[in-house]
Amino acid sequence: MKRVAAALLLRWESVLVLLIIAVGLWCRSLSPLFLTKLNLLDLATPYIFVGLMALGLTFVVIAAEIDISVASILAVSVVVIGQIYETGTSIWFAATVGLLVATALGLFNGFLVAALALPSLAVTLGTLAAYRGLAFLIHSGEGVATFPTGFTNIGIGYVWGQQVPVALLVFVGTAIGLGFLLHATRFGRYIYAVGSSREAARYSGIPVTSVRMAVFGISGFMAGVAGFVYIGFFGSSRADAADGSLLDVVTAVVLGGVDIFGGSGSIVGVVLAVFLIAELRNGMQLDNIGGDTQNIVIGCLLLGAILAGNGIRALQASGLRQRLARARKKEVVRTKGQAEGIS
Amino acid sequence: MNASEPAARTPLVELRGISKTYGGVHAVEDVSFGIAPASTHALVGENGAGKSTLVKILTGVVSPDTGTVLVEGEPRSVGSPSAAHRLGIVAMYQDPTVFEDLTVAENVFAGRYPRRRGLVVDWKAMRREASRLLEEIGADFAPDAPVRGLSVADRQLIEIAKALSSSARLLIMDEPTAALSLQEVDNLFAVVRRLHDRGVSVIFISHRLEEVSEIADTVTILRDGRHVETRPAARLPHAEMIRLMVGRPLDALFPKEEAEIGEAVLRAEGLTRRGVFSDISFEVRRGEIVGLAGFVGSGRTEVARCIFGIDKLDAGRLWIEGRPFTPRSPRAALRRGLAYLPEDRLRQGLVQPMSIERNTSMAVLPEISPAGILRPRRERWLARSFMERLSIKATAPTQVVRSLSGGNQQKVVLSKWLAAQPRILILDEPTHGVDVGTKADVHRTISNLATQGLAILLISSELLEILGMADRVLVIREGRLVGELSREAATQEAIVQAAAGVRAAP
Amino acid sequence: MNLGSRMVGANTLAQAAFRLREAGIFIALAVAVLFFWARADNFMTVSNWQNIATDVAIVAVLAVGQTMVVLTRNIDLSVGSIVGLTAYISSDTLAKHQGLPLGAVVLIAVAIGLGLGLVNGLLVTVGRIPAIIATIGTLAIYRGLLFEITNGKNVLAFQLPERFLDLAAKKPLGLPTLAWIALVVGVIGAAFLRWSPWGRDFYAVGSNPDAARFAGIPVGRRVMSAFMISGGLAGLAGFMFAARFASVDAVAGTNLEFDAVTAVVIGGVNVFGGSGTVLGAVLGAVLVATIQDGFTLLKLSEFWKIFFNGTAIVVAVTIDALVTQRLQEALRRRRRAEIVAAREQAGATAREREVPT
Repeated sequence: MKRVAAALLLRWESVLVLLIIAVGLWCRSLSPLFLTKLNLLDLATPYIFVGLMALGLTFVVIAAEIDISVASILAVSVVVIGQIYETGTSIWFAATVGLLVATALGLFNGFLVAALALPSLAVTLGTLAAYRGLAFLIHSGEGVATFPTGFTNIGIGYVWGQQVPVALLVFVGTAIGLGFLLHATRFGRYIYAVGSSREAARYSGIPVTSVRMAVFGISGFMAGVAGFVYIGFFGSSRADAADGSLLDVVTAVVLGGVDIFGGSGSIVGVVLAVFLIAELRNGMQLDNIGGDTQNIVIGCLLLGAILAGNGIRALQASGLRQRLARARKKEVVRTKGQAEGIS
Repeated sequence: MNASEPAARTPLVELRGISKTYGGVHAVEDVSFGIAPASTHALVGENGAGKSTLVKILTGVVSPDTGTVLVEGEPRSVGSPSAAHRLGIVAMYQDPTVFEDLTVAENVFAGRYPRRRGLVVDWKAMRREASRLLEEIGADFAPDAPVRGLSVADRQLIEIAKALSSSARLLIMDEPTAALSLQEVDNLFAVVRRLHDRGVSVIFISHRLEEVSEIADTVTILRDGRHVETRPAARLPHAEMIRLMVGRPLDALFPKEEAEIGEAVLRAEGLTRRGVFSDISFEVRRGEIVGLAGFVGSGRTEVARCIFGIDKLDAGRLWIEGRPFTPRSPRAALRRGLAYLPEDRLRQGLVQPMSIERNTSMAVLPEISPAGILRPRRERWLARSFMERLSIKATAPTQVVRSLSGGNQQKVVLSKWLAAQPRILILDEPTHGVDVGTKADVHRTISNLATQGLAILLISSELLEILGMADRVLVIREGRLVGELSREAATQEAIVQAAAGVRAAP
Repeated sequence: MNLGSRMVGANTLAQAAFRLREAGIFIALAVAVLFFWARADNFMTVSNWQNIATDVAIVAVLAVGQTMVVLTRNIDLSVGSIVGLTAYISSDTLAKHQGLPLGAVVLIAVAIGLGLGLVNGLLVTVGRIPAIIATIGTLAIYRGLLFEITNGKNVLAFQLPERFLDLAAKKPLGLPTLAWIALVVGVIGAAFLRWSPWGRDFYAVGSNPDAARFAGIPVGRRVMSAFMISGGLAGLAGFMFAARFASVDAVAGTNLEFDAVTAVVIGGVNVFGGSGTVLGAVLGAVLVATIQDGFTLLKLSEFWKIFFNGTAIVVAVTIDALVTQRLQEALRRRRRAEIVAAREQAGATAREREVPT
């Protein structure tokens, strides 16, 4: 029993839960209204779009790549939706096109990385700027004035007696779906394999190039979905959408326990990290800390999370070495006995 | 030791009582011999004889468990590569690592650029000195040449120039001629002789016995980690070299079961990959174990990789069960019932951070995951059944493979491929670096598989393994098929002679 | 063994490929100049070119620093924030202490930049955080610090001493002072990379970090120094920025890192590390600034600039990768042909070897 408890406690996700509770207590001290049901449910709503992008980015990072163009993909998608809707079509048609464009932009990244074997760092650094510029070139002015409530509800609506934000449901629902994809399907397993050891995956018959392209497609797709929520919540379809959100997206992924070097991580961790970041920003706002100063904290969280991950891995490796040495000594005794047994 | 040496000169480098064990396996045991100054000393032995371990000890990469290394009569501790460097011991490997983006001169002087007034890089001096060194060793490329386009032979010369410029006294060449043309080998030997004039000794590790006879002054033969003999090359004919290399009692590791041999399941004709192997034709029948012997670098693994669809074939045709087969990808090969257990267990065979069950199921996920959804219970059952069948020692199927011993890791790799229920299985060094107990288990399994009707191509550098397991032995040398021996005709000497290109003694 | 003259072929092919890059930028620059000259009013005027020169100056200084980092196979995205911080501190200091010699202010700016660069270096070498993530983090942290320091205020032009603003206004020998500063930095940077063993080590570290370690090069220290140089130069660029724009607020320098990276990548510095020159990076900066100036004159939205930057990076990286591949194959084939020719010349055919039995 003790070992189970210890194992559970030592998990990254558990630490996140503890941090959420700790930050929650701090927030409570700043405002007694913090721990009300309404507030808690609505806490993450402004950051759902960040969370959705983080969910998509998780796939890329587990595959041992990086995609820093997600916010720019969101911008293009959002502008496209606005422009198409303005020509008089149904919002859902425009939204579908926006989603397709986002996915296509993601797949383009994937093509450059997987098919042309270019480094994902350089590629997405370039597309980060290129896509952002593209968004402005498509439309650089004010966004569409009003979107139909049916659509904006995705970002800003409430259900069940005006209590539960639709965006929250979207986030949790998507997380469940993506979590299933990542943890319970063959495709998800392929991603972990490719991220841990591309060569071994190749030898095992896994279609490595397709998998790598697909994760970028997912990242783009999720940026598109995040765009829906963004339009709903902020009421804007301008080309500067999500500018500056990259920090939170990357931090959410890393803080969620996804190894920046690839091969491990879980959706649950990322979901918890998103809530933690939302809570933290909320608290800082209550404490009258400006947005850019908040970034200092988030930036430190980002760096701290990686340092912690590296440190834990280093400890595990040295512990493993000791265990291996012990196991090997046992082997000598056993094999000596066997060898004698044979001849 | 060398009772036949004329005057007892202090050896330049001497090994005394060196032993090293890796995870229960003795890599070298009580090895002692000396290297004379300004001489070429060949180190000969099969794969696993202990040569690379000795090189690692001499270059400070690992420390011996027991024994001493003496340099010019003084015991020295070669605790790190930089310590070895300081003692003048340098190693040069088959394909030297170089700075592709830099020039030849920069490669030679990397980290030790000649300076003008101690502060500024003296390019002129660097170019001059590099030119001089290159000329001395007969290189035909200029110091300003970008290394990127240079051949393996050229890179070796750069390494030698580097060694010379850092006043090396002992240069270890590990299988240097494997990728060289005849002309380049001649060049290299001329360089080695020039090195002697400089007082530098060379340890020459090679399996090409004719080269050993040509260039070496002394030959040391290792076998199974032990020192067998050290003798002047002039007094060591090839046949005797081979006899000393392989002469070991043939206690059967595991008596092979008789299997019923059927029709050809895998047939290859004229397989060619430019510069690697050419015109390889063979067939493997149901229930048959065909051994593929040859020295490291002879092209066997490359053939297997092409058949499995990892690398591209330039020419040749393949048939599986009578129908033509184009190797496009590992997945395509698996679909036709062909599996390949790769040589590099840790990087190609296993995903190390994953568990036994996840590694075991990796090649058959499409089959056991209907609609793409994973079935953990099936995976666990699969893993458990293989753990039992192959006696894999682990705490649970959830144990991470990284923490398993080499032998058990290899069994997991084997499980992965067996799970795919192949009809043809290519095994590449399946018992490399594996303890005796596991070796026996693996051999038992392979033999068993053959009786069940699998066609097995066994690539191995361990002669006893091939002799014990194979119904037929194909020998590859320098990318060509040079011999086929039946089980009766196959002896250790016969195989090595074919692999080394030595004509049999009358 | 006869020597020397045979390798010329492959040699010159490789060198040609390397020179191609710089030639390519020149050609692109010429094309751009001609294009804008034809299409835009006032492009070919002295004052416009002096404008370009000033813009180039700041980006060029950043590009020199970025070159150091990229050579070692890393990247520094925090330079924009460092520029903002040091620009503000420079002007704030001068506004409060009007009599301070400019040299002292430069030292302060550079020192701060060195410190911030040191933090980057530590995160990457000791913390083993991939450079891109580390500098995304410090980008945000440093920018946040700037917001904290400015507290909503900003230094206004009239608060600054004349001689400071003169740096941008005065044009000795026709070139703005800031451009002269950039020129000097470029020359020193190029000299450092060419002539100092320390600088040469950057190439080795980026080309093959493991081989570099094995050759005894202290990889960690070199990488750390590259980040410090990048930070220090960003500090200098911050000082120059303040002189140029006078009014410095908390968003100063935003996105400058992009200009720097674009300049460097266009300029032929390989993102994989190990090759590239300061000359190329500076030419890249000139090209970037020229095109941006041209866009402005053509009254194109500034967003064309961002789009251009991004596309240029993607295109440059793609071309680099493809060219390197082709070059490698071509060189190898040439070399093999030479070897075959040499063999035939020497009359060596496959000969039977005597086998002592």
